[in-house]
Amino acid sequence: MNKRRSVHTVKLLSFLSGLAFVLIGCSQSLHDMQAEPAKAGTLEQVVVTASRAMSANTGFLHSFADIATDALALVAPGEEVWVIAKPATEVQSDDQVPGSGAMVAKLPGEQDTPKDVPLPLEHTSVNASINGYISTVDVRQRFGNPFSEKIEAVYMFPLPQDAAVSEFVMVIGERRIRGILREKEEAEAIYAEARSRGYQASLLLQHRPNIFEQKVANIEPGKTIEVDIRYFNTLAYNDGWYSFVFPTVVGPRFNPPGSTDPIGAVSRDKSKRGLPGKNVSYLRPNERSAHDIDITVDVQAGVPVEDLNASHEILTTESQFGSTVVTLKNKDTIPNKDFILNFRVAGDTIKSKLLTWVDPATNQGYFTMMMYPPAGIERLERRPVEIVFVLDCSGSMNGRPIEQAKGAVSAALGMLQENDTFQIIRFSDNASQFGSAPVQATAENIALARDYLRRLHGSGGTMMIEGVKTALNFPHDPERLRFVSFMTDGYIGNEVDIIAAVHNNIGASRIFSFGVGSSVNRYLLERMAKEGRGVVAYLGPKDSGRDIMSALFKRISHPAMTDLSIDWGNMSVSDVYPSKVPDMFVGRPVFITGRFLGEPDTVNVTGRVAGQTRMFAVDAADSAERNQEISKIWARLRIADLSDQQAWQRDPYGELATAILNTALQYQLMSAYTAFVAVDSSYVTEGDHGTTVHQAVPVPEGVRYDTTVEN
Amino acid sequence: MRTLMILLALALSAVAVAEEVEFTAIDVYVQTDEPLAAWQFLLQERNGAMQVVGVENGESPAYTRAPYYDREAVNLGTADRIIVADYSLAKTADLPRGRVRIATLHLMLKSDLQPDFDISLVAAARPDGQHLDATISVEPTARKKP
Repeated sequence: MNKRRSVHTVKLLSFLSGLAFVLIGCSQSLHDMQAEPAKAGTLEQVVVTASRAMSANTGFLHSFADIATDALALVAPGEEVWVIAKPATEVQSDDQVPGSGAMVAKLPGEQDTPKDVPLPLEHTSVNASINGYISTVDVRQRFGNPFSEKIEAVYMFPLPQDAAVSEFVMVIGERRIRGILREKEEAEAIYAEARSRGYQASLLLQHRPNIFEQKVANIEPGKTIEVDIRYFNTLAYNDGWYSFVFPTVVGPRFNPPGSTDPIGAVSRDKSKRGLPGKNVSYLRPNERSAHDIDITVDVQAGVPVEDLNASHEILTTESQFGSTVVTLKNKDTIPNKDFILNFRVAGDTIKSKLLTWVDPATNQGYFTMMMYPPAGIERLERRPVEIVFVLDCSGSMNGRPIEQAKGAVSAALGMLQENDTFQIIRFSDNASQFGSAPVQATAENIALARDYLRRLHGSGGTMMIEGVKTALNFPHDPERLRFVSFMTDGYIGNEVDIIAAVHNNIGASRIFSFGVGSSVNRYLLERMAKEGRGVVAYLGPKDSGRDIMSALFKRISHPAMTDLSIDWGNMSVSDVYPSKVPDMFVGRPVFITGRFLGEPDTVNVTGRVAGQTRMFAVDAADSAERNQEISKIWARLRIADLSDQQAWQRDPYGELATAILNTALQYQLMSAYTAFVAVDSSYVTEGDHGTTVHQAVPVPEGVRYDTTVEN
Repeated sequence: MRTLMILLALALSAVAVAEEVEFTAIDVYVQTDEPLAAWQFLLQERNGAMQVVGVENGESPAYTRAPYYDREAVNLGTADRIIVADYSLAKTADLPRGRVRIATLHLMLKSDLQPDFDISLVAAARPDGQHLDATISVEPTARKKP
């Protein structure tokens, strides 16, 4: 009750862009301003989230600290060193079996006990709150020092490719030090200076929209430092299901020769030698660290959650506020695959929605609109199609991923009609194809194609650019709608080259990209689909290739709503993303985000379906304070759009880079040009800055270590 | 609203360094006889010697999260000014009163320039949102225990 009273009485006149920055109604200049309505929901959520995060904050020491202590006593200060609990028996290479490694590998003589490796990252705690189709996610990483000397912890980790990272707090005991967002080089310099002088400090860098690097300096022996990160993003929506995704591990990337900004995949042994550049360090299949993860998702749908499923074992409870709370069943889950929560809310039909928020400080409005295809278009029949299947046959796909991909293509072949055509292109170190021209989908040709599929296996590098160019430059039959279906885990380091190749070669094709595996590179797959004016889908380890392909054919078996134009009514709209409104396929909504001035009311959308003009209206339903995240999401989309332009457009004067930097600073977001830094300048640790320890991670579930990681 | 302006040339107890910069921390205190439900202050450094490298919560259990700062501090590039604010939804009895440390600012200073701080309390409020009388001051942070 006290909260309600306080909310009503404390005038929160401005929440600046999600910073919850308060101006208090006690200054004379502020008295004239009108108080905002109460924001009880938002504020209470902050409290709940904080308490959850704190409850997870219980430090502990590694059981192998003694081993590390003995080993480090032999090392000179500042020397790069790794401490490994030596196994009783040397590990043989054939121990590197497919799978998550850490859980399934067995040491000779220790059949059920993987080798513990002392590493600084102890635990990741994820608390997400979903409101409508916007999620607010708090991530806490707890770093400890199991060694006898100070260390610097370095950890490469993933976040969703559309995460608008806006808060960063370093936590030392009860002390919480909010990090400052700065230009990347400036933040790096501050961190380096603080580190070299013995101050505890942390730095958050972005290497890809979905790959981040956390550095924590001067962690003293036996001590713990935590880092809190908050981000916003939107949920995917397919055929009545919302999907919340939290990636837990970066998959091993392949970098073609000449890559200008590679992300390496190296063994733990190799990373300790202090390699230059950006590298993800991987545990061997028979090793595991103490790092585990817990995840809580609070689904505040406003209506009952009718059905849900997840990639992991979960527990579901009802909160006192009527929301559905989902938690991981095992609090010590190994972070080696994406956590995916799919849920469906009550009600038969999903309506198009327009959500808005107006920044009280600037009167600038922001909106996000979900446009759902109007009823009835699924009854219209399609034209003949031409489908090009492009299979990633590189080493990282070896094993279950390639088998799943082949099964999906085989299923798709069975769904073609005889007047359709198809082609199969494979790529690894190079590209080759099933036929020299589009192949008629006769029973005989399909049988031959399935035989061709059976002979494909995963090995070699991922020269994806070859696959892209071959697929998009393939002779096209103008009488048929052309769909190019990429099936890949996306484990490459030259994403920008691929996105540029798609942009430059797309022609009349539409791209349906399929992510295959447990921890795919969603950034690449989403961008390929965006540039290819298509959609993306994911084929997880438990998913059926037939079901995924059925969903694809459900989309392409009916005409999309194309040539969309929007009458914004009373809104004066600008800076809309995506800048080119995509086609609307059956079962897949289109999300539009932008800025506006004026009063939102009804928005009218017009498009073409099978040669006919169709129109539907979207009402401005909700302009609540809780929608303030929309401004961050808009800024994140603007940064993504500018970054995409950098992929195919020369930027000789750095104008795009400057625009990204300015947007990131103005909206306080991580980007390729900004970084968060936090320094505890009140205390100097003793001695040198210590040893740098790279946090090694397991290879994703289903990915072979021996074919993907450089030893 | 009465805004208290304090001009300080602090004898900072920063760790002496041979390089161009040094790190230090300053504590920000508010003195009030009433329960402090929300506050906002502006800190400037007149010589362009300051870069804020962290904003820490204060001592009251009613304010456990890290305070928020405004984006203008970063947009100015040198971050020679910063606006910091926070509020609490704790019960009135749990809100701080008297002299309370509301925040600690972690700074990186240019060694060859004497910092010239200027701090002002922009706003302070009771739980009912009304203005309260308060003064603000800063002083060097006592070195934290390991």
